[in-house]
Amino acid sequence: MLEVRLKGFRSRKVFLLAASCLALCFFIVGMASRPKPAVWVKKFKGSRYELMAAGKPYVVKGVCYNPIPIGKGQDYDWWSDPNKPWLTDGRLMQEMGVNTVRIYKAGNNPGSVKKVISDMYNIYGIRTVMGHWLGFWEYPCPLYGGKEFQERVKKEVLDMVRLYKDEPGVLMWILGNENNYSCFGQVNPWSTDEIDKETDPAKQNLMRARVYYSFVNELAAEIHKIDPNHPVALGNGELLGLEVARDVSPDIDVVACIIYRGKGFGNIFNSLKSIFDRPILISEFGADSYDAYLGKEDQNMQAFFLQAQWRQIYQNLATTKGGAGNCIGGAMFEWADEWWKHNEYDADGWSRHDAESNWSNPSYYFDIKAANNKNMNEEWFGIVALSKEDESGLDRRIPRKAYYLVREFWKNPVLTDPPRKK
Amino acid sequence: MKRMFLVLAVLFLALPTCLLSAETSSETAKEGSSAATLAPKEFIIYNDRNSRDNHYIPSGFMGDVGDIKINDQYMANPHSGATGIEFVYTAKNSQGQGWSGVYWQNPANNWGTRKGGFDLSGMTKLTFWAKGAKGGEVIREFMVGGIKGTYPDTAAVKFGPVELTDTWKQYAINLAGKDLSYISGAFGWVTNSDLNPQGATFYLDDIKFEADPTMKPEDHKVENMPFYVYADRNSITNHFTPSGFMGSYGDVKVDIASNTDPYLGNSCIKMVYTAKAAQGVRWAGVYWQNPPNNWGTVDAGFDLSRAKQLTFWARGEKGGERIEEFKIGGIMGEYSDSDSASIGPVILNKEWTQYTIDLKGKDMSYIIGGFCWVTNADVNPEGATFYLDEIKYE
Repeated sequence: MLEVRLKGFRSRKVFLLAASCLALCFFIVGMASRPKPAVWVKKFKGSRYELMAAGKPYVVKGVCYNPIPIGKGQDYDWWSDPNKPWLTDGRLMQEMGVNTVRIYKAGNNPGSVKKVISDMYNIYGIRTVMGHWLGFWEYPCPLYGGKEFQERVKKEVLDMVRLYKDEPGVLMWILGNENNYSCFGQVNPWSTDEIDKETDPAKQNLMRARVYYSFVNELAAEIHKIDPNHPVALGNGELLGLEVARDVSPDIDVVACIIYRGKGFGNIFNSLKSIFDRPILISEFGADSYDAYLGKEDQNMQAFFLQAQWRQIYQNLATTKGGAGNCIGGAMFEWADEWWKHNEYDADGWSRHDAESNWSNPSYYFDIKAANNKNMNEEWFGIVALSKEDESGLDRRIPRKAYYLVREFWKNPVLTDPPRKK
Repeated sequence: MKRMFLVLAVLFLALPTCLLSAETSSETAKEGSSAATLAPKEFIIYNDRNSRDNHYIPSGFMGDVGDIKINDQYMANPHSGATGIEFVYTAKNSQGQGWSGVYWQNPANNWGTRKGGFDLSGMTKLTFWAKGAKGGEVIREFMVGGIKGTYPDTAAVKFGPVELTDTWKQYAINLAGKDLSYISGAFGWVTNSDLNPQGATFYLDDIKFEADPTMKPEDHKVENMPFYVYADRNSITNHFTPSGFMGSYGDVKVDIASNTDPYLGNSCIKMVYTAKAAQGVRWAGVYWQNPPNNWGTVDAGFDLSRAKQLTFWARGEKGGERIEEFKIGGIMGEYSDSDSASIGPVILNKEWTQYTIDLKGKDMSYIIGGFCWVTNADVNPEGATFYLDEIKYE
């Protein structure tokens, strides 16, 4: 009797073991056969990150792209330009080594937008980062605490995702662009009744940040439901406010930082690790090519800064030993000069390459001695200059020195810093 | 007799030739010392008033030049020889600068506009003897090199602050590993009226470069904690200077020697912001910089890697004054701060309150902008008067 019981026990044990093995096999096979997203973030030990696209590591070698022709304002619908500027630009970009364009907001005509994305990808192998302003520049100010505002922006964002998520050229989504500054009263300030009741201004800032980052997280979560194939990035000015995002934005995959710090990015890579452990895309950085002090174009100055900035990006890729390992690439601001930028309301000025500066940034120190220290020239940030000379219906593109130096850097990245001047 | 005459004749003819030859070789050695090779083990800046070995001239008067008197034949009690150098610094701020100093230059008054530097390669330290008339006189910095201009020095080394004693004491500035191939500003000192409110009389003697093979290049210096930005008006432990005025700088008055109820010690900092938008913008602020007015143009950051936080005490004159931001670091330029951190907005209490800027996770390896505040007229329409004290990294 005891023997029968033992036998039965043994056979049950064998059965359980076999069933477990079978389940494990199904699990492993299931995992293996589950398709990876088209684009995803791979995490390594030590909070090092790599972006994966089509199964391969992908370093974003990007440019911000908004090809407004000379004489046109910011509302110009270049997506529908019959001369197809993206084809001319895409060829030049491909020759340079650009693999990504960053778009701040999709055009109004979905057909045109799809055409641009697919042409860029299919002809030149260039992927597109799609962005949305999240109502940041709406008048009078964005109301991130208002339900109506939130619902409208959410609809716009999710419509964009639904429209373009199946385009093979899409790389990721970026939500916002420096909108966090509005939480800290630095630009486009906003509030809610509840925030107004708080008397401590520092706490008010944190409350606003909590509202904003919670909203962005809600968008990210919704996007993931619709589109599991692309990461969602948070477009943040510097790292300001990210200690709040850490608590309320678990669905954010990437921090897309907008940074203008001259020849480097300081401690931003390691800082991000301790504040909000996510991969970082330097989604907007660069330098202008006009020496506001000497009053003339200086391509060397722009090339110097861009080369140094790319060097630091590469020093902090996951594959580079010794760096932070959390950088996945960058997008230079910008591909081509925009002649409307100095004064967007002066239509006459759109045909003039304005050399007057509106703002100061001592990180770009070569021309900081310009009058009132205003050394940043908005209309001179292009890697390629524009000429009024017509070429196939477009302003002729003239690559600047930075175009060639960055191209050489991408071909043969030299990561050692030049000796510090003493 | 004939033979003796011949010997005397030869001696008579040969002696002047030998003397001439000796003199010529001596001159050659001197010229050689100012050229490429420097075999000597020392190179004198000041021995005695009339010493032929002296080099360089204490001609580069700086800052409040009317506050400095020099006597280069001080005979009452030199360290050695017959004379030393006496400096009387009156701290009267004659030119409104608040500081004074003197450079030893070659040739005199050469601020890098002319050639004149010596090649001092091989020298590894500069030594000098110093004493104060009473003891307690503070020299903010002694310098070697650092002259800029068309013909800049190849090295710039600073040493200090130094609190002098009332007896002679020797000091050594380590120059090992420095490029001394062209030095036109051999030596200098700088001090200010905050460190010496009653002025200072002090003495220097036996200033010289030396080739000491035991000297080793100094390791990168990581500052010890606590590291004061401000302890008291004339504290030798202070670092950085509130020199970086921003925005409507005409709206800001700084008194770093206020005796109105300091939190600790005999003084605190009083800030008056009038909110009048003197320069047309409705905000203002002040950066504490090293050296003064350094907006990232001078390679002079402190390594404060050991700092975990910056603490300071603050109070408003009425209470309710609002400071938008207290900050450390963040100066960007050719030599940028390695990081930044801030708190704010802060509404000040009428009573002293301690505030902390957390530095955990920050890269504090290179800091030029040691402390900063910024506010604006929108949140202080009537202006703001506030006090700061005991600002320190720890």
